[in-house]
Amino acid sequence: MDKLASLLHTSPATAWMVVKVIIVFSAVMLLASVWTWVERRGSAMIQDRIGPNRAALFGKIRIIGLAQLLADGIKFFFKEDLVPAEANKGLFWLAPFLAFVPALMGFAIIPFGRSLVSGGVTYHLSVLDPGNGMGMLYPLAIGGMAVYGVLVAAWSSNNKWSILGGMRASATMVSYEIGISLAVIAIFMSANGYDPSDVIKAQGHTPWTWFVVRQPLGFLVFFTCMFAETNRLPFDFAEGESEIVAGFNTEYGSMKFSLLALAEYSHLMTASALIATLYFGGWQVPFVKDPTVMLSVASFVLKLLFFAWVFVWVRWTLPRFRYDQLMHMGWKVMLPLSMANLVFHAWRMSQGH
Amino acid sequence: MGVIVKKVELTWLDRTYVWPVLQGMAITFGHFIRNLFTTTPNRYTVQYPEMKREIPDGYRGLHELKRFEGGEIKCVACFMCQEACPARCISIEAEEFSDLNITQGFQEKRPAKFSIDMLRCICCGMCEEACPKDAIWLRKDYELAAYDRLSMQYGKWDLMNTYSDADGKAHINQDPTPSVPRRTIAL
Repeated sequence: MDKLASLLHTSPATAWMVVKVIIVFSAVMLLASVWTWVERRGSAMIQDRIGPNRAALFGKIRIIGLAQLLADGIKFFFKEDLVPAEANKGLFWLAPFLAFVPALMGFAIIPFGRSLVSGGVTYHLSVLDPGNGMGMLYPLAIGGMAVYGVLVAAWSSNNKWSILGGMRASATMVSYEIGISLAVIAIFMSANGYDPSDVIKAQGHTPWTWFVVRQPLGFLVFFTCMFAETNRLPFDFAEGESEIVAGFNTEYGSMKFSLLALAEYSHLMTASALIATLYFGGWQVPFVKDPTVMLSVASFVLKLLFFAWVFVWVRWTLPRFRYDQLMHMGWKVMLPLSMANLVFHAWRMSQGH
Repeated sequence: MGVIVKKVELTWLDRTYVWPVLQGMAITFGHFIRNLFTTTPNRYTVQYPEMKREIPDGYRGLHELKRFEGGEIKCVACFMCQEACPARCISIEAEEFSDLNITQGFQEKRPAKFSIDMLRCICCGMCEEACPKDAIWLRKDYELAAYDRLSMQYGKWDLMNTYSDADGKAHINQDPTPSVPRRTIAL
């Protein structure tokens, strides 16, 4: 690290920061793009189909269809970049970034491995070091920002279908965020702090002390709300072919569309990272008291990938909700459940547990 | 008359929605695992250019004009198939030929030209049904494609050789006996 810092003419802290940012965000973006392939192949497996397996590098190397990513990327890159005549041009251009950046930013707070000490300096494996004062409030706030990407994309397209999709999506996100917040508050109480490292430390290395076991109701609410938050099935109200064409991205094409799609998958990655951190012990390795750094990173990545797969799995299992059912569930089921969870754990803590 | 709608009574377990969701996810996961460990040839999907379905008997694909062992065409140019064809894709020009003998089944008439417009043909098999001599068959070749329209006009010699390779027969491109040049009959 010191060598790199002297190469870049910066302090080791800055160099470490740069390395972290590059590794974390490129990994998330790579995973997000790979997940488009996982989604398609996984759905094919679930539905007894085969899925994209034809795309090949140089027309020869098929690698089980992974080249489809490249083919899709190239195709999107070379498509004509249409902007509708009546669209609000500035916002139309801005919207994909508004969707993409918050989806990635939420990941910054997540510790993806235990801190390592090298040469008397502690290096934290998260982009934002613990004790920054924002803690888990940060991804929640950034998650709130994600509404703007969808809504701005919808509104700037100047299209009825788009605006309907955008309105529905933003209403969904806003109403489910309350459930998320209340579920997370119960965790903050139990963890005695809202910094992710506090939350992870409070969970320990045994699976039965993880918050998924200690607060199953909260987990259920949080998990369900995350689907609404990431705008994925069964709550994908931003789009819907049978109702509102393609919803908020009806007017989008080429790289802008691809960025919106990537934003969805990055959001998925961030959401699974949040689930893993809050309820499944983050980088804690089950039954290993002091895991090595590599082991803890591997544990975290495995958890992350598993929950990302669960998002895909659920999408191809459950039918969509109707919009009124969604609102019913958000306000009349999720909110009371998370409140009950909060009150129950507050009561338990008052009893000295 | 009213229809009695059967209402499904949900148990409290079903009402929670969580348990049915888990059941559904178990089903999809079962499918996923089963497909993950099934090799591609054993899946339901037929990977077309590499794998092909077995064509059932009685399939109506590309036509063949049948021939006798000596290479003489079975067709007697009776125009029945042309009449029967709902797509009007068959056009025949008949001719007479001189040397009658027993191997040719006492024919004295045969098509000088026999063409099928494959762009129009609907592979209905009516020509096969109509043929009194069993001279035209619809068989199993279904990959009919060409880069230009002219290639889809199948002539007499094309049709006689459509399955030569598949059956291991010789390609022929002329009748064993010459025709009488004076008389050609066209409908």
